[in-house]
Amino acid sequence: MRRLLTAALVLLAVPALADGVLDKLPRAADGHPDLSGVWQALNTAHWNLEPHVSAYPVVLDLGAQFAVPPGQGVVDGGKIPYLPAALAERDKRFANRLTDDPEGKCYLGGVPRSTYMPYPFQIVQGPRDVIITYQYATGFRRIFVGGKEEAPLDSWMGWSNAHWEGDTFVVVVTGLNGLTWLDRAGNYATANAKVTERYTPMGPNHLRYEATIEDATVYSRPWTIRMPLYRIVDDDYRMLEFKCEPYAEEKIYGHLRKPSSTEGASK
Amino acid sequence: MKRHAVALSVLAALAAFAAAPAALAQKASTQKPVAHKRTPWGEPDIAGVYAEFSIAPLERPVEFGEREYLTQDEYAQFEKQRLNAVNEDVETVPGTQADVHYDMGTFKLSQNEGVTSPNMRTSIVTVPKNGRIPALTPAAAARRDARAAARKGHEFDGPEQRSLTERCIVWPSTLPPILPGGYNSNLQIFQGPGQVVIQGEMGDARVIRTDGRKPAQVLPQWNGNSVAHWEGETLVVETSGFNPETAWRNASEKMKVTERITRVADKTLEYAFTVVDPDTWEQPWGGVYPLTEMDGLLFEYACTEGNYGMANILAGERKAEKDAAAKK
Amino acid sequence: MRAGAIILGVVACTAAALPAGAHHAFATEFDVNRPVELKGKVTKIELINPHSWITVEVVGKDGKPETWMIEGGSPNALVRKGVTKASVPVGSELVIRGYGTRDGTNKAVGRDIMFADGRPLFFEGSKPAAAGAPAQ
Repeated sequence: MRRLLTAALVLLAVPALADGVLDKLPRAADGHPDLSGVWQALNTAHWNLEPHVSAYPVVLDLGAQFAVPPGQGVVDGGKIPYLPAALAERDKRFANRLTDDPEGKCYLGGVPRSTYMPYPFQIVQGPRDVIITYQYATGFRRIFVGGKEEAPLDSWMGWSNAHWEGDTFVVVVTGLNGLTWLDRAGNYATANAKVTERYTPMGPNHLRYEATIEDATVYSRPWTIRMPLYRIVDDDYRMLEFKCEPYAEEKIYGHLRKPSSTEGASK
Repeated sequence: MKRHAVALSVLAALAAFAAAPAALAQKASTQKPVAHKRTPWGEPDIAGVYAEFSIAPLERPVEFGEREYLTQDEYAQFEKQRLNAVNEDVETVPGTQADVHYDMGTFKLSQNEGVTSPNMRTSIVTVPKNGRIPALTPAAAARRDARAAARKGHEFDGPEQRSLTERCIVWPSTLPPILPGGYNSNLQIFQGPGQVVIQGEMGDARVIRTDGRKPAQVLPQWNGNSVAHWEGETLVVETSGFNPETAWRNASEKMKVTERITRVADKTLEYAFTVVDPDTWEQPWGGVYPLTEMDGLLFEYACTEGNYGMANILAGERKAEKDAAAKK
Repeated sequence: MRAGAIILGVVACTAAALPAGAHHAFATEFDVNRPVELKGKVTKIELINPHSWITVEVVGKDGKPETWMIEGGSPNALVRKGVTKASVPVGSELVIRGYGTRDGTNKAVGRDIMFADGRPLFFEGSKPAAAGAPAQ
């Protein structure tokens, strides 16, 4: 009997076709779209937000597997409007990306980078908060719907206050610590950044994701990225752990290892 | 195969059945369940930010024997002693090892952050009857000893020899079963249709399906694989498939944990758990304690990003080795 | 005062009960035989996990400026009590008693940290310390 009830509740909550494909946009009890589900971006924004042709891997021995694939870019207008000094800083970061990209150290991706990293993330939309968990490095965001408070402290994933504009979920993110990058090409923002995200359903299995980034210390004007997000529709999909901390230990602490000991993890 | 939404009236009837108390619910909770607030989709609402601190200690003081509860007369004294012990201002003596620490008071860190959380039990552990965690099996003791032996003399060779907390991988007090620990001993719960999110303050958020469906493949995870379902007012979470390196309290990867979370009052949840691992403990064990809603939020615990300590620990040992070599 | 690290009078020290297992990690990071007493201006404050770090510029023994990083605790309870990034402004003058790292560099755990004018670091009474002009 309990199974029947469970099935009934599931039916009401998530109308579906086959596997995890939905035939109807789910709505929460308050009438807003229900963004719950597992989503992933399908582009090369994580390599480079700007338009780019293919490129060599940062370590040549890694060969074609780790070469950079091409992308039309996700920035409105093509290029990020850097101030001249900031552009020089971006280029310097690009040159030092092997050692300096925080992603290599399993550091959290921040916002908006976490959205378009090549890993899934899960949205759980509750009646008061919206939670997003990211497979990469177990990132976590608590989004305060109707929230108006300011960030008490800076953090890697920022402080998120949200509201609805029609069917668009608008999230204003402040309190970012400026220590993440925006992609693997050295693009960046600072702790002065404000990021405004917009999640708009395009049918039951796609979201339009937009993020406007403002940082007067780095850019000459606000600029916006835009991309689709795709619902993961695999049957019975579960987001497994990608706890990359151990994989980054050699990179971060290798130089402090006892010289005579075996290098690297023995796992 | 197309599925259609069920008519609301049928759903309402089924929902009424699920909320029916008595037989089903009493098995799930040790307290008489009351129909508390509901989520918009009809489940018991257990969301909130909670303090784990319990007046009852984890294990029962031996003098209580098999007594599960204190009397009213005993409780006041017991509570006072416990709170004093937990919040005692300890003067440390300069030049001693105990003094080599930041002042917890400066950072307002404590086991209970002002939460009292009444609990008339003599311990959190209630199974076995003596309120104490059973002994390790010989196999588990052997595993523990083998790990210690392998590590001996190599404790500072590299990051892999350090503990999982120093490596910022998992914090034991946030793994299922969640037990009160030192500071930041809090957890938060969020709910969405078909999902619940449980996160210990210094750990990973566990996003758990509430449809009871088990995965076709169980892959070892640091936090285990959790599946949940509702039994009346109680959320039952079953976790298995642990990474063998997790080794929570020396457990094996076969450890199975059942958590039962029930709202019992406006600001209180009951958190009950059982742990089964015949490779590790001679018998199943478990317990129960209250989770008390608290003001304030759980700030981001980005551990590896701020882990200067690991570098300092390894650098310190490398310098000590250099100094020792220079003396030769 | 210019010459060297300032030797301060005995600073009253109290500590709430420490969590189990706290000692061993600190014994491996900091050296009980390397006590430090510092007075300096905050140049950076990282209220972060797993431990906060406050960077101060002090005047070294040779009269030259030295940068020290001082370790504190997790800020999570402070956040719940209303502390913000404005609570310890850059430029604030602090006095610190603690123990240096085992590797001999300018890093220490701050056993006692307070504003140079005697105000406690985060709280006056039960309220967060007023943000504003640093103590002189």
